[in-house]
This record gives sequence, C-alpha cells and structure tokens, in this order.
Amino acid sequence: MNAQRLLALLVAIIISAPLLLPDGQGVGLVNAILIWSIFAIGFDLVFGVAGMLSFGHAAFFGVGAYTLSLLTMRMGWDFIPSLGAAGVVGGAVALVFSYFAIRVSGLFFALLTLALSQLIYIMAGTKLRMLTGGVDGIAGVPRPDLFGIDFYDDGNYYFFLLALFVLALLISGLIRISPLGQALKAIKSNEVRAEQIGFNVQRLQRSVFTISGVYAGVSGGLLASLIFYVGPQMLHWTTSGDVVIMVLLGGMGTLFGPILGVAIFEIMREWLSTQTSHWYGILGLIFIICTIGMPKGIAGLITQLWDRIMPGGKS
Amino acid sequence: MNSTAEAKHVLRCEDIEVSYGAFKAVTNVTYEFKPGLLYGLIGPNGAGKTTLMNALSGRAQLSKGRVFLNDQEITKQSPHARTWAGLGRSFQITQIFAEMTVFENLRLAAQAHRFRLQPFWRPVGKFREIANDAEKVLNEIGLESFGHVNAGSLSHGDQRALEIGLALLSEPKVLLLDEPLAGVGHDVAEKAVELIRRVSEGRTVLLIEHNMDVVMEISDEIIVMLAGEILASGEAETIKQDPRVRTAYLGEEE
Repeated sequence: MNAQRLLALLVAIIISAPLLLPDGQGVGLVNAILIWSIFAIGFDLVFGVAGMLSFGHAAFFGVGAYTLSLLTMRMGWDFIPSLGAAGVVGGAVALVFSYFAIRVSGLFFALLTLALSQLIYIMAGTKLRMLTGGVDGIAGVPRPDLFGIDFYDDGNYYFFLLALFVLALLISGLIRISPLGQALKAIKSNEVRAEQIGFNVQRLQRSVFTISGVYAGVSGGLLASLIFYVGPQMLHWTTSGDVVIMVLLGGMGTLFGPILGVAIFEIMREWLSTQTSHWYGILGLIFIICTIGMPKGIAGLITQLWDRIMPGGKS
Repeated sequence: MNSTAEAKHVLRCEDIEVSYGAFKAVTNVTYEFKPGLLYGLIGPNGAGKTTLMNALSGRAQLSKGRVFLNDQEITKQSPHARTWAGLGRSFQITQIFAEMTVFENLRLAAQAHRFRLQPFWRPVGKFREIANDAEKVLNEIGLESFGHVNAGSLSHGDQRALEIGLALLSEPKVLLLDEPLAGVGHDVAEKAVELIRRVSEGRTVLLIEHNMDVVMEISDEIIVMLAGEILASGEAETIKQDPRVRTAYLGEEE
C-alpha cells in the first residue's frame, strides 16, 4: 500500500462513518463534511493545481445557495435543475470575476477577488434585499424530492450527498491527470515557460476558475438545502477564508488533502464551539501552528510518515 | 506565395523601438531574417540583444515599429500566439518546469503544440501522439536516459538542452536562442554547439552568444548591436574587418 491509498482509505472511513457507527451517528456532521469537501475540492483546482490564491470563492458559493433557494422557492423549479443552475450561476460569476482578476497575479489577484466578492456580499445585504431577504436571508430552503425518498431525513440525504461528492471527486481527479490539469500545473510551475511553449495562460486560468466556480455554486446550493437556510454570511469573505484554511490544513494540490482538511475543520468547529464561544480564535491558532509545523498539510505529513515507516511501499 | 516567402524573409522587423521611460533599450531596428540561416547576435552587455529578442517573441512591448512573421503582422500578438505562428525561443535564465520530469516537460510542450484547447476528459497518458512527440525530441536533444529525472536536478548544460527541446516541440520556423552556452563547461559546450547546428537545419535561428569563436564559426550572418541599435551586420569575415565593430565592440584601439 502506498501513501496515496492510505489517504484514500482515511477519506473513505470518514465519509462512511454514518454506515460504520451504530444508529447512523455523526450523519449531520458527515453531511456537512461532504458538502464543504465539494467546495474545497473545487477550490483546490484553482489554489493547489493552478497556484492561484483566490479570496473570492465565497461569492460563487453564496450565489449558488441563493440561486437554488430562489429557483425552488420563488420560481417553483425542481431541486435537481435548480442545483444545476446553482452550478451554472456560480461558474458564470467566477468567469466574470476572472476577467477582472486574472490580469494581475499573486497578492493582487487575492485582493481583487476579495474585493469583488465583498461587493456581492454588500449588495446581497442591501440593494438586492427584495431578492435575497437582506441580512435575514431566506429560510425554508427545500431538499430534493426524488423517487419518493424522504431526503428531509439526514440519513437519506447522506446518500444523495455522497453520490455528488464521489462525482465531484472523480471529475477533479480526472482533471488533475488530464492535459488540462497538466497545463495548469505547468503554469503554476513556470508561467513564462508555459506561455512560451504555447499555452494560452489566461484562458486556461479562466477555465479552471470557472470550473471551480461551478463546484462552489453546487456546494453552496447543497449547504442551503442542508441547513434549510441561506443568508449573506455565506457570501462573506470569512467563508472564502474558511475554504483556504481547510485546503491548507489538509494539503493543497493533493486530491484527498482538502477533504481531510474539511473533516478536521468541521470536527473542530463542531467540538470546539460546544466548549467555548472563542472557538474561531482557537481554530485560527491551531491553523497557524499546523501550517508552520506541516507546510504540506495533513496529507503531506501522512505521506511523509508513511514513506518513512514503509520505505518499500513507495510507488 | 510560397515562392516569394522562400526567396525573401521569414521574420522581419520594421523600425522597432522598446523604451523603458526615457531609456531606449532598442531603437531604429529594421532587419529581415532570411529562411534557413543562422544569425549570431552579438554586442556588449546592455546593447539590447535580449530586449530585441523579447520584442520579437512578444515579451517586451514595442513603443514603435512592427514585426512580421511570414508576412503576417504579429506586432500585437501575445507570446503564445507567436509560438503557434512558428516562433520558438529559449531564455538566458533557464526556464523549465523544474519539479517535473524531463519527459513531462517535453510532453507539456508537445501538448501545448497539439491542442489549442486542452482536453480534460482523458488522462494525459492516453494521448499517445504527444508522448511520441516528446519521446522523439528527448532523443534529439540527447537526454534519452534522463526522461524520468526531475528537470531541476539535471546539470546546467542538460537544462539548457532541455530548453531548446521545449522550443523545438512547437515546430518553430524561427528559433530564438538567448545565450544557450552561458555557464556551460567546455566539453559540454561542444555538444551544445553540435545541437544548435542540428536544430538550425531548415530553420532560421537567431543566437545570442558571448563566445566569439563559436559565434563566428557557426553563424551565417552576424548582427552587431550597440546601445540599442544595429551597428553592423554581415558575414563573419566582413564583421571582423569592420573598423566600427572593432572600435566599439571588440575593444581594439584605433
């Protein structure tokens, strides 16, 4: 067994916890982990694969949530097409962002995406109040109505989310090893050379940013349906910050790392928030210690340890 | 149209100028590069050689003038579009994908050349054609036994060869080589010169090089730059005799 398989196994154990534990314990937590994982997997395509630090992904996540909520609740659309639309709108907003932000790189890219997403956050709370419900948000977001299954039962909804999670993971895995993924890695590695051998760098960056926006939009829609609510907080920059932390904690640029990061983050959030109201600060502190102690995240640490224990297991 | 292109030039620049503020790094440069010749671009440090190369390959913005490749104006085109149009280049400071293997480096260049839109629905390993392209160039640049080595851990000389290989995969009609021999040891340099000779067969090469013996030996024509302008150009013997060149560049006293 190599380290990659070990990580896959770890992820498999985490996401199948409701099946392994008696009475489906932890299903609420795992549902949240599955949804945030879809977000993080998509975010890592931009961050870990293409090397672009975006602080604007809350916008795509949030508009996805609003899209699903408005289409199902006001327009009477079915859940599945609404979820598709959430992805499309998330991707479309990401594409618009990319036209502004990809002109610059590094810190300026991060700041521009942050500013643009905050613009949407503020608009959702004020100008678009009629549509978004302002700071109150919209309550009563539905879950899917399929095959007569009661998805309002968390245990049933788990299977729906699991299917989407697996699909998201497969697509991301394929992109990473496809020519597109290789081209993005090339841009991250050496932009000058990538451009000189004939890659249209900006177009490739826009493509992956848009794909990532679709992931964010879908996961945002799913979260709204999980908690039956959407509010402007989902658009707030701290949501972008959360996904950055999750991916860094788990291991950026790896397929399974972001999922592990999400799991740790969500478990900590769940547990710490029952212990103290300052949980976010403590989480931040843990994050700082982790990034200093393990720059390649949990996935990097596990890989390193595994290769040390099992030198022959290296593939 | 083919007959005229054959007879005339493959790359042409018309009164080009590159300025940084008040400083004119390249100015008044008009030149026609003929098909199939190897041009040696020489001149003291700061003469504008690399800037000229940047202007041709699209990395430096022109403040004046126009550039044509095969009679197509490319002045406003971005570097990747010029690569597609047939202009390849290597850099003074080695630009490779250091953390990827030599083979992966070459496969990327092959893929950039083969696909305008990068496929995302199949693993890259399933595209046999790009692997074959990469394999071919791997042999051509003499790195066949280093395919699985990380490019960053290659020797300097081999990295320079890899750079040329990356440029070759775009099947360039014109190849710009910015000091491919810089920092390369004596014995390795010989191999590198041999490689340059080989790749210049059937294409136009513009070579910046400080080693005078090498330049004079392998160039069909020499272009001498000084203070951003072309001071003189012609065959090696003519250039060696040119009094302006001797004073300005070779440092000979009058």
